[in-house]
Amino acid sequence: MSASAIAIDSAPHKVGPNVVRFGMLTFLASEAMLFSGLICGYMVLRAGAGSAWQMPEGLKGGFVLIKTIAATACLLASSFTLHFSESRLINGTRHGKLLLIITILLGTLFLSNQADEWRNLFHEGFWFNTAGIMGSCFFVLTGFHGCHVAIGVLLLIISLIRAFTGKITPHKHGFLECTGLYWHFVDVVWVFLFTILYIL
Amino acid sequence: MSQTIAHSGAEAHAETVHHHELSFFHKYIWSEDHKTIAIQYLFASFFFLIIGGLLAMGVRYQLAFSGAPIPLIGTLLPKWLVTDAGAIQPQGYNGLVTMHATVMVFLVMMPLLVGVFGNFLIPLKIGAPDMAFPFFNALSFWLFLVSGIILLSSYFAPTGFPAAGWTAYAPLSANGAYNGSQAGQSLWCIGLFLNGLASIAGAVNYITTVINMRAPGMKMFRLPLPVWAIFITSILLLLAVPVLSAAAAMLFFDLNFGTSFFEASHYGQPLLWQHLFWFFGHPEVYILVLPAMGLVSEMLAVFSRKPIFGYKAMVYAMVAIGFLGFIVWGHHMFVSGMNLMLSSTFSLSTMVIAVPSAIKTFNWLGTVWGGSIRFTTPMCFALAFVSMFVIGGLSGIYMASTPVDLFIHHTYFIVAHFHYVIFGGSLFGVFGAIYFWFPKMFGRMMNEFWGKVHFVLSFMFFNLTFFPMHNLGLNGMPRRIADPGLYDFLKSQQPLQIFVSLSAFGLGLSTLIFFVNFFYSMFKGPKAPRNPWNSTTLEWTLPSPPGHGNFPVTPTVYNGPYEYSVPGMDQDFLPQNQPAPKTARLAVH
Repeated sequence: MSASAIAIDSAPHKVGPNVVRFGMLTFLASEAMLFSGLICGYMVLRAGAGSAWQMPEGLKGGFVLIKTIAATACLLASSFTLHFSESRLINGTRHGKLLLIITILLGTLFLSNQADEWRNLFHEGFWFNTAGIMGSCFFVLTGFHGCHVAIGVLLLIISLIRAFTGKITPHKHGFLECTGLYWHFVDVVWVFLFTILYIL
Repeated sequence: MSQTIAHSGAEAHAETVHHHELSFFHKYIWSEDHKTIAIQYLFASFFFLIIGGLLAMGVRYQLAFSGAPIPLIGTLLPKWLVTDAGAIQPQGYNGLVTMHATVMVFLVMMPLLVGVFGNFLIPLKIGAPDMAFPFFNALSFWLFLVSGIILLSSYFAPTGFPAAGWTAYAPLSANGAYNGSQAGQSLWCIGLFLNGLASIAGAVNYITTVINMRAPGMKMFRLPLPVWAIFITSILLLLAVPVLSAAAAMLFFDLNFGTSFFEASHYGQPLLWQHLFWFFGHPEVYILVLPAMGLVSEMLAVFSRKPIFGYKAMVYAMVAIGFLGFIVWGHHMFVSGMNLMLSSTFSLSTMVIAVPSAIKTFNWLGTVWGGSIRFTTPMCFALAFVSMFVIGGLSGIYMASTPVDLFIHHTYFIVAHFHYVIFGGSLFGVFGAIYFWFPKMFGRMMNEFWGKVHFVLSFMFFNLTFFPMHNLGLNGMPRRIADPGLYDFLKSQQPLQIFVSLSAFGLGLSTLIFFVNFFYSMFKGPKAPRNPWNSTTLEWTLPSPPGHGNFPVTPTVYNGPYEYSVPGMDQDFLPQNQPAPKTARLAVH
């Protein structure tokens, strides 16, 4: 009798971090399908193009590759800094905000490298409409991913503001946790994109 | 002691309900209450239903009386649509066909089934105060509305509506010089992208809510079937819609930025569009019918006063349909020059869908069998759903087999088939569901007599419109030609074309009866009691309409959803929140 009454009273009237996390994971399943669609398109097009699939000179150089590897390293590292920042912010221990700021900087570094790369390619006459099927895939895939990183940086900045205004507590951290999941997801997608666009 | 805890909690909650008066803006415009959002979706889709219906009337007018000026409004229409004399011209006709389908699929059926009934029923039926993410729920509605406005705004572009068909096959769609409406096609891409975001926001909400916010005792296998159906539909939406978004983005870049995804001359692949589109498009077909199946199952049980026949089989059949929906998309592409081995695989997987569909159909018949049937308007529509779905399903099996499809592909046979499923099936299911849940939505009853008139007329005109299309198709009438009179072999079909068009006008007019009944009943209908249909599920334990926050006390669920005519009980139904008396013999435990 008393057990059922308590069950009634503690029924979910306000959604907690667990539900928010569940919702975010559901959303990421959808995001995964978006990138799957794009990557499957890439695979079909690349297989069909054969020798017409030409990497532009601007992407072939060793320096470009090193720069992009460095940017990739930044993005991968940012996942770790965010992970440690998250647990520190939630538990209220030291350096949480500092690690979050580092994460934002690393994300921004990645984005600026990508912007620089697009700018260089544009100056070499390699753009959406002039670079054949390789260019179509390259710009749209990296563009979609870049937009996701930009949104991720925005979410990180909002998380930072929440951290400074004391809105992250051991019981209330859904937003931060979702930002974390999203950021890790965007990171994993980049590992795939980097492999198929720069290495293979 | 425990009683007082529960009670004080309830009081505190009731207090927040009464003392928190919402401003006009938060009550009607940016409302985060799932019931208001459902009604917003309902009115928006009514608006789009009228638009989509008028487009269909235009299509039928042109096919029956090609070259004749449209009476009354002909000369007022824009120049991309009509000639100077006011007759529809070919480019305009293509626009009408394209937008009729796009509007009906994305702006009418999806929001009606998922937006309206998903929003309204899920929290009420599972005993939750609202959706898991009310903010994203409201965002979903407004994104949907903006997407609709963007899609329709191409009416005002000089080149008019997109004209490549709702399937937007490349390369026709991918180049403004081919399809004649660069602006329209681009707006189409943007509209569908936003529409997809709205669908995904909704789907995330529904899935999270169903998994996490059920009342105590509401086990998954005690969920009413509409909730199950919309839950499975949400998973389909979640996984299929982003693929369309990706494809629409690629198409948009092809149209406007000179990429060459679908341009064969630059090593793009037109066929890639078909694969991406139908990878979304076939699950979409089930997105459009599964929720209606759930709604109809509930109405059949209520008005037969019997438990649903094979509750778990119904659930598993829907899961099977949902899963199979993802691996059959190639059956839309038998004539595309696809590998024949692949064709036979897709044929086979498509025919397998007949099995879960037949399970559902026989279970519906089993539910009605021997029941004390009450022929209310919702019940009539539910029975119409079952019979029309069977006709549409059977013609679907013809098409699943590659050799037959090669003959009837892209003819009016296909048009007949999917209208039997989507109009005779889903839309009839929705009409029934609106009559059924109207009392809970607006607190008044719809007029039963005019409901029956609406049912009889729309059922009759529906069949007179769409059944002859099977014949037209078998006689070779292609799906998207502006003027059948130009082809010798179609001239003998013209009397049938005119008959179909006149029936279609009748169908359009009979829908007006529904609208008049709806809006009259909203204000002047008799007041509805809590539970006008003697139904068992949780929403009927609340006042009509339920207050903000739904349940003053979170209900506890003791039974399955369809305990009608329970042996050993005085009352013929057992609500889900009432413990069964010791003597009762329940259908499901």
